[in-house]
Amino acid sequence: MQYRHYNTLNALLLLSLCFLAPVWSSNSQSAVQNGGGSAHTNNWAVLVCASRYWFNYRHMANALGMYRTVKRLGIPDSNIILMLADDAACNSRNRYPGCVFANQGRHLDLYGDNIEVDYRGYEVTVENFLRVLTGRMDPSVPRSKRLLTDDRSNIFVYMTGHGGNEFLKFQDNEEISAFDIADAFEQMWQKKRYNEIFFMIDTCQANTMYSKFYSPNVLATGSSQIHENSYSYENDNDIGVAVIDSYTHYVLEFMEGINKTSQTTMQDLFNSYDVDKIRSHPGVRMDLFHRDIRHALVTDFFGGVAQVEVLPQLSTEEPIWSHNASMASPVVPAIDLFPLTKGNITEEVQDVELTGDKTAVPHPFALELMAAVQNSTSQRETNYRTVRAWASAALLVALVGWVCSRGK
Amino acid sequence: MDHSSRPLVDPAKPFFESNHTRRSIIASYWLVVLLAVPLWWTTTSIDRLSLPTSRVLAQQDKQLVFPVHVCLSTQESSLAGPTATLARVVQQLLDAEREMQERSGVHIHTDLDCDRDVYEVEVLSGTNQPTIEGKRLRFEIDETQVMSAMRLTDTLLTLLAPYVTLRSNNHQTERVLKYAPRYRLALSLLNEDATSEHSIKAWDVQGHLSKHISPILDRLSVLHNFTVESQIQFHAPLAFEPVTLQGSGQEVHGLTQEHLTVFVNSAEWTLSSSVSNDPVIHFILFVPSAKHTPLHILDAAGQPVASSAFILPQWGGIVVHNPNSAISESTVLVPSELDLMFATFRHQLMTLLGVPELSKNIQSNQSLTDWQIDALLRRRAIENAQGSKDTLRSIVQLVRQIENMPVGHDVKDDVQGSLTALEQTYAAASSSLHASIERSKEAITLASRAFFNPGMLALLYFPAEHKYAVYTPLFGSIAAPLLAAVIRELMAWRRTRHGAQQAGSKDAKEKVD
Repeated sequence: MQYRHYNTLNALLLLSLCFLAPVWSSNSQSAVQNGGGSAHTNNWAVLVCASRYWFNYRHMANALGMYRTVKRLGIPDSNIILMLADDAACNSRNRYPGCVFANQGRHLDLYGDNIEVDYRGYEVTVENFLRVLTGRMDPSVPRSKRLLTDDRSNIFVYMTGHGGNEFLKFQDNEEISAFDIADAFEQMWQKKRYNEIFFMIDTCQANTMYSKFYSPNVLATGSSQIHENSYSYENDNDIGVAVIDSYTHYVLEFMEGINKTSQTTMQDLFNSYDVDKIRSHPGVRMDLFHRDIRHALVTDFFGGVAQVEVLPQLSTEEPIWSHNASMASPVVPAIDLFPLTKGNITEEVQDVELTGDKTAVPHPFALELMAAVQNSTSQRETNYRTVRAWASAALLVALVGWVCSRGK
Repeated sequence: MDHSSRPLVDPAKPFFESNHTRRSIIASYWLVVLLAVPLWWTTTSIDRLSLPTSRVLAQQDKQLVFPVHVCLSTQESSLAGPTATLARVVQQLLDAEREMQERSGVHIHTDLDCDRDVYEVEVLSGTNQPTIEGKRLRFEIDETQVMSAMRLTDTLLTLLAPYVTLRSNNHQTERVLKYAPRYRLALSLLNEDATSEHSIKAWDVQGHLSKHISPILDRLSVLHNFTVESQIQFHAPLAFEPVTLQGSGQEVHGLTQEHLTVFVNSAEWTLSSSVSNDPVIHFILFVPSAKHTPLHILDAAGQPVASSAFILPQWGGIVVHNPNSAISESTVLVPSELDLMFATFRHQLMTLLGVPELSKNIQSNQSLTDWQIDALLRRRAIENAQGSKDTLRSIVQLVRQIENMPVGHDVKDDVQGSLTALEQTYAAASSSLHASIERSKEAITLASRAFFNPGMLALLYFPAEHKYAVYTPLFGSIAAPLLAAVIRELMAWRRTRHGAQQAGSKDAKEKVD
C-alpha cells in the first residue's frame, strides 16, 4: 500500500497542483567548540536497519557488519542500540539458520553467538528511533533500549535501508525525513546529549539525508548523491540474495585495518572512498563539525577508547588496508532505489543507469567541494519548485475557468 | 378542490430549475463545507500550551552565589587583638579575590561573630599545620600579621572554593560524573584466568565495603542514593598482549598508556547488570594470570610506575593486583591487601564524585570533612541550577523552533514546578545550604522530566508539499465544481438583473415617448 500511496504522492507532486512550502528557518545554536582532540569520555552507537523482508537481507548484513565493527573496536553492548527491522538470521528462507553473512564465500558469521538486538521487527519504527535519539521514553522502557548519553558522549549513528530524496523508508509503511533527524539532533544538542555525532547512511540518494542538519558538532557521510542509487556489492548463490551493499562493504573493509588504538583519522576514511568501486558518489558534510577531520580519529566514534588520567601518547601508524582481494565487482542486480515499481515517474528513474560518465571526478578532493555545490544546486532547486508551484496554481485557476465557461 | 388556484406544473421547466431551489442546493453544499472547517481544524491541530517563557528567560542571567560566613575566634587573651586585625586583613585579601570566589559560587565574609552555626577559625599560637575538626579550623600563627593573613586566606579559599574551573568549560571537570540522584556502584573482582595459580576465588567484599566505602556513602547521602552490587568473574581475558620487560632478574609485564585506554574489554567482560537506568560507577580489581604476573603500569618512558591503579573519567576505577606468591598460597585476599584496595576504591570514588581533595598541609581526623562536603554541595547546587536553567531554556527554544512539538499539561506543570524550585534555590542560598541543594535537585529533576516527556515528541515532519498532495485530491475535486457553480450562479444573477434593468429602462423610455 505504501508503494501506491507514494506513487500517488509522486504523481501529484509532479503535477503539483499546489503552492510551495514556505522555507523553514533553521537558526542553529552557537556552538561550544572543542579545540584539539575530542573531549568525550564515552562512546555510543545507534545502528539502524530500516527495511523488512528477506530480499533486503543485505541491509541486515550492513547493520550487523557495523555492529561487529564497533563492538570489536570497544563499544560495549550496553552502549550499542541495534535496530533490525527484520530477523534475517531466523528467516525460514535462510539456508544457514541463525547466521547472517556479508560476503560471497560466507566466511564470517555476523550474527555469532553474542549479539544483543535491542529493537527488532515491528519495534523498529520512526517513532521509536526518534524516541531513542531524543530520550523521550516511557519510564518503563528498559536500560538496554535507551541512549543514556551526556555531553561527553560521542555517538555514531548508522542507518541503512531504502530511501529517496530526503527520506528513508522504515518497515514498509512509513518513512523518516531528513528534517526529522535534523530536529532530533537539535533536541539532543539542546539537552546536551552528545559531544559529537558521526552520522553515516547507506541508501539511495543518501547525501540528501544529512543536508538538513543544523546542529553543531555533527559530521555526516552518505553513500550516494541526490538522484543517484546505491548498489549492492555481491550475491551469494546459496543464500540467493545480495548480501551487502557496496558502500558499507568498502567502509567495513577499511575498518578491518583498524584496531582499538589506531591513529587513523576520519580524513583517511573519507580518502578511502573510491567512486569506481562503490559505484556511487559518497558525500561528506563537515561544515558543522568543529574539529579538523585530519585530527579526528576513527576510534573517536567507532571505538570505546576512553581517556585515562594520564593522556595516552600518540605513536603507532596502522596499516590502512588489510586485504584487497576480489575487487572485481560482480554483476549485482539489486538496487537500493526506493520506488522501483511502475508508476514512479519522478526523478529517480532517469538515473538508474550506472553513472559511467561521472566517475572521472577525483573523489578525495571533490568531497570537500560537495557541500558548496549542494548549496548552489539547492538554490536552483528552490527556484524551480517555486515556478512549478505557481504554474500549478495557474493550472487550477484555468481549470475552474474552463468549467465555468463550458456552462454557458 | 381548487386546483385551479395552483399554477399547473410546466413540464418544460422542472421545479429544481427554479432559482431558489438551485441556489439553496449550492448554498447547502457550501454550508456543509464551512461547518466542517472548524472540526477539521481542531482535529488536525496540535495541543500546544503556552510556556512561561518570560520567567524562564528572566532566570538566565541569575547566578547562584552562596554567602559563606567565617568567624575568627581565639581562646588566648594575648591573641584577641591580632585576631581582630587578622579578620580585617583577611577580609581585604578575600575581597581582592572576588573574581575567583564568584567563579566558585561563594562570597566569603569574615568577622568575629561566632554565635551561629558557621565556619569557625580558632586562632592559636604555634607553628603546627592547620587542623580541621568538624566545621572548626585550628589555625596557628606565630609570624607577622601579613604572612598569617595570606596563609589563612589561601587556606580558606582552597577549602571553601576548591573548584576554580566550575564556571568555565574546562576539560579538567570531565572526570567527575554528571549529577544523578541515584548511582549504582558495581564492584568486580576479575580473574584473568582462574585456572592459573594466582587466581583469587573470594574476597570479603561486604566487610570492607562497610569499613571503607559505606561511611563515605552515608556522608554523601544528602546528594545521592547509592546501590551497590558486586561480582567475581573467573575468566576475564585482556583484549591485548601486555608488553614484556626484563626487570631485575625476573620478567615483568607492563601496561603502556595506550593499553590503559583499552584495558576494559567490554566485549567479553560483563561488568554490571542492567536492572535500572541509574548511572553506574565501576570498580574493578583485576588479577592477572600467571602468564602476565607481575603486571605493572608503565609511564610514558616505558618504566614501571609505583601505582597500580588508574581511573577512567566518568566511568570508574581499576586496580591491578599482583598476588605475591611467596606470601600467600591461598586463593582468598587477605584483609591487609583488601584494606589497601578498598582505600584506593574509596579515593577513586571520591574523585569521580567530585569531592575536593584536602590540601596536603591540612590535617584532619576524618576522611571527609564538613568543609569538603559543603564545597561539594555548593558545587552540585550550582551545577543543578545551571543545568535546570539550560534545560528550561532549551525547552522554550525548541517549542518555538519546532512547530509540530506538542506541549501538554504535564510538561507545563513540570516547567512551572522547576521554575519555582529554581527560584527557591536562589532564595535559600543565603540561609540554608541544605535547603538550597534540595530545591536544586528538584529543579533539575522536574526540568529533565519536562524535557523527556514522552508526549513532547514532535509529530513526524511532513513537508508542506506532502500535505498539499494529500489534500488536493480531496479539496481540489470538490473545489472546482463548487467554485464554478458559485461563479455561474453569480453571472446568471447579474445577467438577469441586467436584463431586468434593461427591460425597466426600456419601459421608462416608452413612457417618456
